[in-house]
Amino acid sequence: MERVGEVISFGNWLQNTSWALALATSDWAYPFVQATHFTGLSLWVGTSVAVDLSLLGIGNKRQPPSRLSDALLMWNWIGFALAITGGFLLFSVSAATYLINAAFLTKLALLIPLALALHIVIQQKVRAWGQMPHIPTVAKLAGWAELLLWLSVATAAVSIPYVG
Amino acid sequence: MLLHLGRLLQDNSFIVTINSLPVTAAALEIIHYFSMFLVVGPTVMVDLRVLGAADRHHPAAELAERFFPWVWWALALNALSGFVMFAGDATAYIPDSTFHAKLLVILLAVAFTLAVQWNVPKWDRLPAMPAAAKTVALLSLLLWIGAILAGVEVPALSGIG
Repeated sequence: MERVGEVISFGNWLQNTSWALALATSDWAYPFVQATHFTGLSLWVGTSVAVDLSLLGIGNKRQPPSRLSDALLMWNWIGFALAITGGFLLFSVSAATYLINAAFLTKLALLIPLALALHIVIQQKVRAWGQMPHIPTVAKLAGWAELLLWLSVATAAVSIPYVG
Repeated sequence: MLLHLGRLLQDNSFIVTINSLPVTAAALEIIHYFSMFLVVGPTVMVDLRVLGAADRHHPAAELAERFFPWVWWALALNALSGFVMFAGDATAYIPDSTFHAKLLVILLAVAFTLAVQWNVPKWDRLPAMPAAAKTVALLSLLLWIGAILAGVEVPALSGIG
């Protein structure tokens, strides 16, 4: 119980920092931060899912998935950086509420780490998979799993207001 | 007239049910967000390639050829889920100027994206990307970010949704 109290007091501290208060009370800043979060997510999810789909053999088969992964790599991570920066700022506005929301906790502590770990594995393995005569089953499973995990992250995110 | 149609739409039992059940309402949102990511992310990547800020070692048409079929499928899904959510509260959305702005920005973004898609093979054959190509790509990129911003401004400014 003491740990829960500490987490909530961290949330209270965060949402009372000057930037969190400024964001919460400004008429225009909050939508701009939301738009940053969604633009980052578009780059991150859009480029990650593109590689997953190419592992599944959907789309142009002449270009190996590794070529697509290399082409998208830098903007993939720029998207991620934008998404977490925006996401952290949005979280900081009502941190104490988010920290006791089951959907938020599932998203942050379970689904995002899993999806991120699998994403990094795919990025490491994609070249080796692409050199094989056929894309191996494990690669297709990884592609499906990453796609479904990001969809679960979106599901958890959308569920936050329904749960809380 | 439009408001009358909006009222008919809003009172349709299918529309009422799908928007009021938590499971289907959440499913609509998930589809709308996820398909939006699949429209904007890949489109912006092609725009960044035309601008010379991504994947400079390969022809721009290579990314375009791979991405645009997905982009249009995702846009169809995005428009469909968006329409069902709009229908649920049609009489509030129809007169709302922020919502009008959102639709206008999306239409312009689609127009500039089509311009990129149609011209990329031609631009690729030139020794360097012409300034006009970069202008069109930059406008497509900015308009999609603008569409996202307009999307979040509708609930922020008008309180609908």
